[in-house]
Amino acid sequence: MEGTELSNLSLLFIIVFVFIPVSLSYWFSLNLSKTIIWSSIRGVVQLFIIGYVLTFLFDLPNWQGIGLWVAVMVVVATINAARKGKNIPFVFPVVFIIIALTEVFIISLWLLFGYIPFSAEKVIPISGMIIGNSMIAIGLAIERLQSQFREEKGRVLAALSLGATPQQASLQIVQKTLKAAMIPNIDGLKTIGLVQLPGMMTGLILGGVSPMDAVRYQIVISLSIFVSVAVCAMMVTILLYRFYFNDKMQLININS
Amino acid sequence: MDKNQSIITCKDVSTDRLKDISFELRRKQIMTIVGPSGAGKSSLLFLLNRLEEPISGKIYYLGQNIKDIPVTQLRCEIGMVFQSAYLFDGTAEENIQYGPKMSGKLEDCNVDRLLDLVDLPKSFKMRHVTSLSGGEQQRVAIARTFANKPSVLLLDEATSALDIKTTEHIEELLIRLRDEKEISILMVTHNLKQAERMGSQTLYMEEGKLIERGMTTRMFAHPETNHFEKFLKE
Repeated sequence: MEGTELSNLSLLFIIVFVFIPVSLSYWFSLNLSKTIIWSSIRGVVQLFIIGYVLTFLFDLPNWQGIGLWVAVMVVVATINAARKGKNIPFVFPVVFIIIALTEVFIISLWLLFGYIPFSAEKVIPISGMIIGNSMIAIGLAIERLQSQFREEKGRVLAALSLGATPQQASLQIVQKTLKAAMIPNIDGLKTIGLVQLPGMMTGLILGGVSPMDAVRYQIVISLSIFVSVAVCAMMVTILLYRFYFNDKMQLININS
Repeated sequence: MDKNQSIITCKDVSTDRLKDISFELRRKQIMTIVGPSGAGKSSLLFLLNRLEEPISGKIYYLGQNIKDIPVTQLRCEIGMVFQSAYLFDGTAEENIQYGPKMSGKLEDCNVDRLLDLVDLPKSFKMRHVTSLSGGEQQRVAIARTFANKPSVLLLDEATSALDIKTTEHIEELLIRLRDEKEISILMVTHNLKQAERMGSQTLYMEEGKLIERGMTTRMFAHPETNHFEKFLKE
């Protein structure tokens, strides 16, 4: 698109940007220079690979391209989020099912309401945003759930000893976990557009779409992400807290 | 009811931390459990409240195997107070009402009477638990357990974090509750003087085993085992 194309040569100038944090690291003896350079190279290579992969996928029939890449994204997101709670039984299948169902549910609504057509160019980027945010929310929920059961073990035992069921004894933990997982997204919604323009909106404007059309899409994606984050956090918390108890309503130590 | 009636009977109970524990707790009896750290004293209380499960052996409550009693009902009847009060976020009233609320018997819960039982004024009802002293928090924890109307009270070093004066008040309170409510008390303590003051019977545990048991006065005056004699001297 006019004004948005970058030549390889102009892209090379971005190297200057990398030298600034490297110089700062050297100046303040942070010992981060190697990490910054390695991370930058890795990021650039990954993005080029993704570019080639997406080009390949967009050339495939839509259902094949979408099916293949969404499956890869769901698996990678599952591994990334679930490994934060690898001691919790069934965490991988539970997280996989939650991310997959949320993705199918949100994309189905987008297609049903005609926000996007069923094409790989549209479905794959939107899926990336939904799955990526779901992954972060689930990871946060799992981390918080574990830390809460560690910190509140005494209170959970006290509640059980008073005749509470595991569901009753875990109520405060579940509430705190859900809040922790959802608050970053709620805060993001509050400041959306004020602190920084959201990525999708920026991309559309750079691509030549009018700001008002970009805003309309941003509203839909922001609320879709919010729904997926809320649903994922709620489902993962409600499904996983049960594994902290056995069938005799006893708290079992599954945290590492 | 018969004063000699056995309320809790433990028969050859073992877990990964306990080995062949057997004893009987009778109605209105106060029994103390002493022993070094890691002896399995708290684990034993956890078994009786069914917060943990034995690998072998049987535990009876009023002659019935505790496995045959619904867990939530058993935990109401055999109440437990921990070393920390573990109060929930909220007021003293909300904490005291917790057990009855969970079991759907909130209308039976008289918070004023329960506060009175643990020597706290009615005005404490609306006090947030974070504004209470350690002793007051432990009293609320005891009142919270009593709201379930237990017939056995398990105390897991419930006074170890409190000062001497507060400890003495809580001890007086426990003896009064035993007499008024006809409950049995099984208390784990690190404090040998407290064990001597409170328990008519004492269990001495070491490395998960019940080493010596008997009348507290006899045990403290004439220990039968070298283990307990050495422990008393330490």
